[in-house]
Amino acid sequence: MKNIYKIKAGLLLSIMLVANSCKMDTVNLNAPTDADVLTTRAGIIGLSVGLRQYYSTNGIAASYFYPAVTGRELQGVATFTNVLELEAGGTQFPTANGSILTLWANMQKLMSMSEDIIANAGKISTLTGGTLSGVIAHAKLYKAIALGTLATSFEKSNINTDKNGKAVFVTRQAVLAEAIRLLNEAITELNVTPVSADFNTTVAGANFNLKDVIYAFNARYNLMAGNNTAAITNATAVNLNSKNQFGYSSVSVNPLWNTSSILKYYVPRAGFGLPTSLFEAGDLREAFYITTTGSGTTATRTLKGFAAEQLGSVPVYLPDEMKLIRAEAILRSNGSTTDALTLINQVRTQTTGDIFGVNAGLPAYSGAETKDALLLEVYRQRAAELYLTGQRVEDSRRFDRPGPPTNTTERNRNFYPYPDQERITNPNTPADPAI
Amino acid sequence: MKKNQPIKVFRLSLFILFLSLFSVGSLFAQNTPYVIKGVVTDGRTNQPIPGVTIKVSNKVIETSSTASGSFELRASLPAGKYELTFNYLGYTQKTASVDLGSQSAVTLNVSLLEDLVRLNEIIVTGTSVATSRKTLGNAISTVGAKDFANSNANSIDQALSGKISGAQITQNSGNPAGGISVRLRGTSTVVGAADPLYIIDGVIVNNSSTELLDLGGYAQNRLVDINPADIESMEIIKGAAAAAIYGSRASNGVVQIFTKKGKEGKPQYNFSSTFKMSDVRKTLETNTYPFRFTNTIATDLSQVPVERYDFQDGIFRNAYGTENNLSVSGGGNGTQYFVSANYLFNQGIIDQSDFSRVGARARVDQRLNDWLKISAGMNYVLSSSHEIPNGGLNEAYGALTGFIFSNNFINPAANPNTGVYPSTSNAAVQRTNPLEAINRFDFQQRTSRFIGNFQATATPVKGLSINYVLGYDNSNQIGTGYIPVGNTTPSYNAGYSRRADKTSFLLNNDLNVSYQTKIADWLESTTGIGGTVQTEKIFQSGITATQLGLIGQTTNNGIAIPSEFRSDINVMGAFVQQTFGIKEKIYLTGAARYDVSSVFGTSNRGQFYPKVSASYILSNEKFWSSQLSNVLSSVKLRASYGQAGNLTAIGAYDRYSSYIPVNSAGLPSVYSPTLLGNAGIKPERQEEIEVGTDLSFFKGRLGVEFSYYKKEVKDLLLLANLTPSTGYSSQYINVGTMTNKGFEMMVRGVPVLTEKVKWDVIATYSKNKNVVDNIPGGVLTFAGGFGQVAAVNGSPLGAFYATYFARNADGSLLLTAGGLPQTEKVGRTGGQPSGATLKKVIGDPNPDWIGSLINEVSVGKFSFRAQLDGSFGADVFNFTRRVGDRDLYGGLKGYEEELKGQVPKGHSAAVFSIFENWIEDGSFVKMRELSVSYTLKPKFLKSGNMRVNLAGRNLFSIDKYSGYDPEVNAAGQSSAVRGFDFVEVPIPRQIILGFNVNF
Repeated sequence: MKNIYKIKAGLLLSIMLVANSCKMDTVNLNAPTDADVLTTRAGIIGLSVGLRQYYSTNGIAASYFYPAVTGRELQGVATFTNVLELEAGGTQFPTANGSILTLWANMQKLMSMSEDIIANAGKISTLTGGTLSGVIAHAKLYKAIALGTLATSFEKSNINTDKNGKAVFVTRQAVLAEAIRLLNEAITELNVTPVSADFNTTVAGANFNLKDVIYAFNARYNLMAGNNTAAITNATAVNLNSKNQFGYSSVSVNPLWNTSSILKYYVPRAGFGLPTSLFEAGDLREAFYITTTGSGTTATRTLKGFAAEQLGSVPVYLPDEMKLIRAEAILRSNGSTTDALTLINQVRTQTTGDIFGVNAGLPAYSGAETKDALLLEVYRQRAAELYLTGQRVEDSRRFDRPGPPTNTTERNRNFYPYPDQERITNPNTPADPAI
Repeated sequence: MKKNQPIKVFRLSLFILFLSLFSVGSLFAQNTPYVIKGVVTDGRTNQPIPGVTIKVSNKVIETSSTASGSFELRASLPAGKYELTFNYLGYTQKTASVDLGSQSAVTLNVSLLEDLVRLNEIIVTGTSVATSRKTLGNAISTVGAKDFANSNANSIDQALSGKISGAQITQNSGNPAGGISVRLRGTSTVVGAADPLYIIDGVIVNNSSTELLDLGGYAQNRLVDINPADIESMEIIKGAAAAAIYGSRASNGVVQIFTKKGKEGKPQYNFSSTFKMSDVRKTLETNTYPFRFTNTIATDLSQVPVERYDFQDGIFRNAYGTENNLSVSGGGNGTQYFVSANYLFNQGIIDQSDFSRVGARARVDQRLNDWLKISAGMNYVLSSSHEIPNGGLNEAYGALTGFIFSNNFINPAANPNTGVYPSTSNAAVQRTNPLEAINRFDFQQRTSRFIGNFQATATPVKGLSINYVLGYDNSNQIGTGYIPVGNTTPSYNAGYSRRADKTSFLLNNDLNVSYQTKIADWLESTTGIGGTVQTEKIFQSGITATQLGLIGQTTNNGIAIPSEFRSDINVMGAFVQQTFGIKEKIYLTGAARYDVSSVFGTSNRGQFYPKVSASYILSNEKFWSSQLSNVLSSVKLRASYGQAGNLTAIGAYDRYSSYIPVNSAGLPSVYSPTLLGNAGIKPERQEEIEVGTDLSFFKGRLGVEFSYYKKEVKDLLLLANLTPSTGYSSQYINVGTMTNKGFEMMVRGVPVLTEKVKWDVIATYSKNKNVVDNIPGGVLTFAGGFGQVAAVNGSPLGAFYATYFARNADGSLLLTAGGLPQTEKVGRTGGQPSGATLKKVIGDPNPDWIGSLINEVSVGKFSFRAQLDGSFGADVFNFTRRVGDRDLYGGLKGYEEELKGQVPKGHSAAVFSIFENWIEDGSFVKMRELSVSYTLKPKFLKSGNMRVNLAGRNLFSIDKYSGYDPEVNAAGQSSAVRGFDFVEVPIPRQIILGFNVNF
């Protein structure tokens, strides 16, 4: 008797185990995995759009705001540690600051996603022609943006991510050179194989002309790298009537709005945070970017401009930046001050017609027409025109504005220290800058 | 549909098995109907004992004694000699022989002796068949309904507090359904839930602590749905013994819970009702200094007069509650039933918070014939709560959160004309007004839950027992949160609405077969085999809406962002276990188990777990003289070794890099996740060695249980922080190791034992030392501790790892030129700290030891009970005081010294960033339970009785902690972040008046 039951029980057990073994492979219905994304056409297309989505939200939420506190465009008013530390800056700036980790990590992620596309897009047989060239050039653009953003805030960084956590660091000059190389490659590739209509529909969407954006960023990074001729060439190549902007939706909201209206960690400083000597009263751009209520010491300011609405678009770059890049590059390469002045005045005297509505409405420049005086004018125009676009600290350094440790009124750090999280696990992390 | 196929096959085969069992029923014919009658009494008091289980050995025939101690067992059996076992928790089991011959009516009166020190208890958990504790090679704790009858605990885990050794039970929040963490012999996992596996009547129950709403860190754990009044007894396996039977999920230990069963006989009614009063035991001392600084400039000491308010007056209240239980049980003709209904309503000490639980339970046991029995149980519960957010790990919209971040010189009262609450700060960013959080915000949770089980037990031949359990646990949780437009929160001025749902289906099928036989006179054998198939499906969604309209509260009134998660986890396993009993003094057990889990990748999915144990009852040796046994009545030595796993430590899809989908301005897109997948991830494995002894002295008047254990977790799963230049932030990896070493002791003594008076003393002592090691980079910080809690090589899990004071060589504080304390840094420049800020381990939230002392005295109709729980050597991170003492907020007493000029201006800002300053000793002794009850037997109740009792919970605490309560934890049921005080609700002081009638 007992044997029969033992056998029956044993049989039952085997049925249980064998029959159910197929259920061990459960499928994740919530999200695609790396295998889904990197080996399919739809996956690469989706990730390409994801690059822009990520940069236009998480990317600029970090790169536009945190350096803006350091560069005194914004004042940190929240009493959270990260904000207090950013606001204080200086030699004591902690390597554990969460904002700087976010800035660093978000750019690394942008870089890593771009690299995944560059490495895998070509392997997909159905991804060809102008769609393939577009996807790759688009990925190179974002990798270059990641590099350029890192070079804006850090003395050194890696130019490739490394999944083993041992990325090698190079100087920011080399980082910028790599960004420029990628953008030049992208331009060459697009010249050979222009983007397809399919690329424009499925990846670029409305208001994103890939080639203009690549030229604009190439101009910006060449200027930062001191390649004045290349900066002029690329800035000139940008179609100034091309309106390139990031779009948002309720699931992917405008990060400028979110940070200023919801988080409320920072408020704009008076006169774009410029020393009073550099701010020109009557500049219409102040009222464009900032709502000021009250006056004097009791005035309160909130961000407006591209931060006004939850779903409002944000320019990828402002066309007037190209004029100011050209003016600056001309001046720095000892070119014609008249040409430079013309470009400066185009920005100064614009009262209508800016495709993004950023009109200065100032009289024509009336100061000294020396190289140094005009360069200073370029700086003040950049500070106003390009308010809160993540460029102030870079500009402040490039234009040799008073800086720390001796003077912290215009910026409280030159470069950030490397985040602890990088240093703890990556032995290649260089020494932190003193300030 | 295809996926259901295996289950169908499985069910079909089971059905066939049962049919085949019935088909051989005819073999057991030719029976005589016998009636065995008798009375069971207590050998000491000569009082009848109701509820004793009387069972025919090797048959499923059983009955129970009635309120008058009498029983009547009807059985149709072939004539012969039978053994009857008499079993009652707290009494030594008695076996009586009965000869069934020509007389169909047999009388058998039995007296049972109390098992005062409980060394002879019958244990079910972790064994193939119910076994006397004596034979086990490992420590198992038991808790009976009587042990917590007067505890007035809301939940099972709360009731367990202080009742067993080797367990640290922490109530993390003083909310009326406050979450509770149970750690058996320390923490055995970092990424998974560290609470034991709970099994109720064979059903693996959901004890998750899902935060559907952000309530600041606090979350209910779902054990709160279970009514402790329905519980008959609990068995707690702390160690390796659990390995064989529950291997895959047993690394945190197992709590097996048995609910009340019906007893054959006429209906028995039990009704109890209590009235509860709760209040806050201690509030924080607030800043009452009538001036504040005009500004924050260090050199400007000018002050302006202010009026200061104690916001706590408007936050805490005297809270009331009630609990009512009704149960009816009975049975006849092989049927036993138990039905109960429960209603609990309890207000929280935070104004406007409450918890209610309405539930019903039914259980039916049916004997089909003398070798086959089935039972079915079902429990429906509706738990609801009104919540007030507090704490504030991520969000700052809580009441106590608002209190601590407020400047208390602002009157928090609403404007009498407009009704608008002021922001309680003069800073640029608004701070939540606590009164507004209480009066205008609406956060609620509801859980509708059904737990069902079906069991079949067959004993077709002598020694063979087959048991099948189907367990089902389905819960639907709904959380809603609403903050109206135009409020004082820092981030949700335009309104906030959230609704989140979680539906969980848990199913377990267990089949266990055991065979017990005597191979020789001196050799007993028990063989067990078993298998389990478990599935857990979760459907979770959440919608958060902001930018709300003025009136509507639901998420469709604003801009809504939805989220959804579905998860599917399957686990199955099988085991074989063999025990040999040699000469009734040596017992050897060996077991092996194999488990498979869908959570892990194909190559690491299957896991093998072995176990061995031995016990040696020294006092059963012949040389143990009767003289010796008068003093040392019984001695048992035991040792066990076992491995256990944690097959559900990580989520269903955590081994993948799951890209994040988002529609970007009309175009579908994905971006890469922060969590990098790891296809090679495998379950962590725990290896445990336990040795111990059970001693009883003075003829069972004093019992000592002692165990030493060492647990090592290998392949520890950690959510490691990745180097950011990998492009990812974190990844699950098997990298660290963790050990728990400790010993635990329980002493039960009965110093006074007469017919009328009984004095019980129970003391427990538990000491555990936890160490983590092999952490990548040496330090790994955890979420939920503001980056100040970490795993640090060579330190206990959850160590506080943060900044500390710069000191001179003589240990005195190294002050700045301005006379302020400062954090230690890498170097010294000009005698002052310079370079990068240093961090070190500044505290440890794990107690050195915990202990409890319970005294129970019964004198005639009165009984008194007192339970002290103590915890020694644990540190608490007092974030509450860190914030409240700081100049920017300054609502606590600690800021006064700066206002009074006793320390330089800026002192509070300086110590704010020196975390060492905020570590405090969290040692405490609490009066956990104190009760007195009086039992009376009024005539109208006939054989029934009535009990009236007055009880207190947490009446006082002896501690040096400056905060509300050293016991709570703002990070809720987190495995790693413990002892983290950030305006979490303190555990209330309660006074409870109750009565109980049964008849």
